[in-house]
Amino acid sequence: MMGSSKGQITNVQAAVILVNYILAAGILTLPRTSVEKVKTPDVWITVILGGIIAMIVGLIIVKLNQRYPEKTFYQYSQEIVGKWMGGFLSLLIIGYFFTLSAYEVRTMAEVTGLFLLEGTPTWAIILPFMWIGLYLIIGGINTIARLFEIIFPITIVIFLLVAFLSLGIFELDNLRPVLGLGIVPMLKGIKTTALAFLGSEIMLLLVAFMKKPDKAVKVVLIGVFIPLLFYVITVVMVIGALSIDGVVTSTWPTLELMRSFEIPGLIFERFESFLLVIWIMQIFTTFTITYYAAALGLAQLFKKKIHPFVYGLVPIIYVIAMAPKNINDLFKLGDMVGNVALLLFAVLPVILLLVSRVRGGKA
Amino acid sequence: MKHITIRTLLSALLVLILLPLTGCWSNKEIEDLGLIVGTSLDLEKQGEPREESSGQAGGPPHRDRITITNQFVTAETTGKGTKTGTSQQKAYNNVSETGDTILPTLRNMVLRIEKRAFAEHSKVIIIGEDLARTMDLQKILDFFIREQEMRPSGLLLIAQNRASKILESKKPMDIPALKLVEMTHGHGRTTKILPPTTLTKIEGKLHSGASFLLQNVVSPSNGDIKFAGAAVIEGKTRKLRGFLNEKEIEGLTWITGKGKGGLVKSVDKKTGQPIIYEILSMKSKIKPHVDGNNISFDIKIESEGRIAEHWVVSEKTMETEFLKRTEKEIEKEVERLVKNVLDKIQHEYKTDVSGFGNKLRIKYPHIWKTVKKDWDQTFSEVPIKHEVKITIKDYGTSDE
Repeated sequence: MMGSSKGQITNVQAAVILVNYILAAGILTLPRTSVEKVKTPDVWITVILGGIIAMIVGLIIVKLNQRYPEKTFYQYSQEIVGKWMGGFLSLLIIGYFFTLSAYEVRTMAEVTGLFLLEGTPTWAIILPFMWIGLYLIIGGINTIARLFEIIFPITIVIFLLVAFLSLGIFELDNLRPVLGLGIVPMLKGIKTTALAFLGSEIMLLLVAFMKKPDKAVKVVLIGVFIPLLFYVITVVMVIGALSIDGVVTSTWPTLELMRSFEIPGLIFERFESFLLVIWIMQIFTTFTITYYAAALGLAQLFKKKIHPFVYGLVPIIYVIAMAPKNINDLFKLGDMVGNVALLLFAVLPVILLLVSRVRGGKA
Repeated sequence: MKHITIRTLLSALLVLILLPLTGCWSNKEIEDLGLIVGTSLDLEKQGEPREESSGQAGGPPHRDRITITNQFVTAETTGKGTKTGTSQQKAYNNVSETGDTILPTLRNMVLRIEKRAFAEHSKVIIIGEDLARTMDLQKILDFFIREQEMRPSGLLLIAQNRASKILESKKPMDIPALKLVEMTHGHGRTTKILPPTTLTKIEGKLHSGASFLLQNVVSPSNGDIKFAGAAVIEGKTRKLRGFLNEKEIEGLTWITGKGKGGLVKSVDKKTGQPIIYEILSMKSKIKPHVDGNNISFDIKIESEGRIAEHWVVSEKTMETEFLKRTEKEIEKEVERLVKNVLDKIQHEYKTDVSGFGNKLRIKYPHIWKTVKKDWDQTFSEVPIKHEVKITIKDYGTSDE
């Protein structure tokens, strides 16, 4: 486990990792954050546009990666912009990864603390979660991929089930008119929805592990398209049931939707627990993959074994996760991570790709 | 040797891990929970004796005081209800408390009940007429919407007179809160009950400032609760504006076209005998028109149904001429219902509770932006035309 990058995962596994990574904390808040910006029921179009942007970003990252076969970003960045600059960029990205992973854990703790484990202290929710993540990561990328393959179908089946159960309180009028106030309000939300698709950046590392890296373009397109479907369904169902005025007043609108209906005759009344189950699994996947990406980055940067870094990151992630004092701080941290991601992964890869082309031409 | 020490350490650790597994962290045993199934809120009229629980001296300035009644179910959780014999125990237990805000008042209930109040399964909130008239609904409901224990699928009803009366029943084994929920299911068979309104739907309406209707429930002196008409909540003040009676609800259901069934009673012009029309389907189209600054609406109502009962002995339902005549009569009756309620909501209450604004918002979003602030006022002045078309499809198994 030298942090080497041999072809270890199949294309399907790569796509599954990408899907699981993208689907995370955002799905519970996306309807609210996007409606706050857009203010019309056209949010679903904005979500589609955000997804398309994420696909383009993913494609650029893949193109960059394919120039350096079998190498991760941490290894090839130094080839493009020199040792110090490359090292600095790698550190930035490592910092981004473990901050994001801390953010995901804390969001998970907040929501489960509120809806499932009332009275359980935050640390008691976070620590076991992190330990299990640690256990998974020690197994390496292959183990991670195999677990994600198990989680993925469960997520899809349960998600579609609960989403369509809410059809009973769906009102089409809440989604009309389409583009009633023109396209300007719709464009205002693009940044928000594009951020919900954060995740293509994992391709910076993932391509190096793929058995057939030439198929990475397809992986990115499929890997973003599935979350796109999830998000559109979520936004449509939530707005259809709560109306845009109801969505903005709700902290966790997607959970609100699941709590808003009961189906007489079914044994279960609390459908939000189903959603929370798959959502916690999704948070877990995002947490582990970013955690792994950070540990792998440190290992490759310092050319050491990965294990010490895996263990060493636990306290760091824990401290960051516990840092936000309240829920608003947490949302702020999320915004900050998002803005950093926009700079790091929408702007940086383009520059690097250009530099690499210029340099590559000379070599 | 090293191997063995690690093994012993690990086994010791495993044993330690087993210890916390014996219990859940913040478990609540179901026997210790007081399951709340319904809540009623009333305004406490001045002059009535104060509850001793408000003994804090120098508290906040005087506000309207609210009496909250929680309905707990007893039989299911304690098993006492299964006792047979002379002393039949009630299936529910109502606990009331008075205070000026919701949560502190609810907390005061702790002083009176031995169980932990648990509202996850609460089905209904009933607000008394007086309270709804004097206080902003958003303030009253804020706690219920904010609290994550209370589910937003709960129903909201308005009670004429006192709401806590609704939670009482003369039959000891009935649980009034659950009965109310069952009663709302009837809206598929009559046009006199509104579709159930849950907290989810109200949240958006309160926030958008739209006027809306809530199902009204009364408790006549003979003790049986009954749905009667609807309460009109004005969007701007979020207070109760007035009531619509059952006939007016019928008219409103015809306007929205959301009814799934029901009856229309009309009178045969020739003989003066009643003819009952049963609605099989109902459709309505509200069309907004904007001409410069003038807004107007057209309502087109279509319905298919059957003659379910008629006392016109002289006529045969087989005959087309009689059917045509009856169709006209029923159309007239529906038009009368519609006109009646439109007159009331437009001119008396001046509130748009039937979704005209919504249609305008969808068709003319730009116009809506300018009129939405004062929509109820604008609505009270717009001309509304209506047209009803009734088709009688069949007349059951008798052609007489």
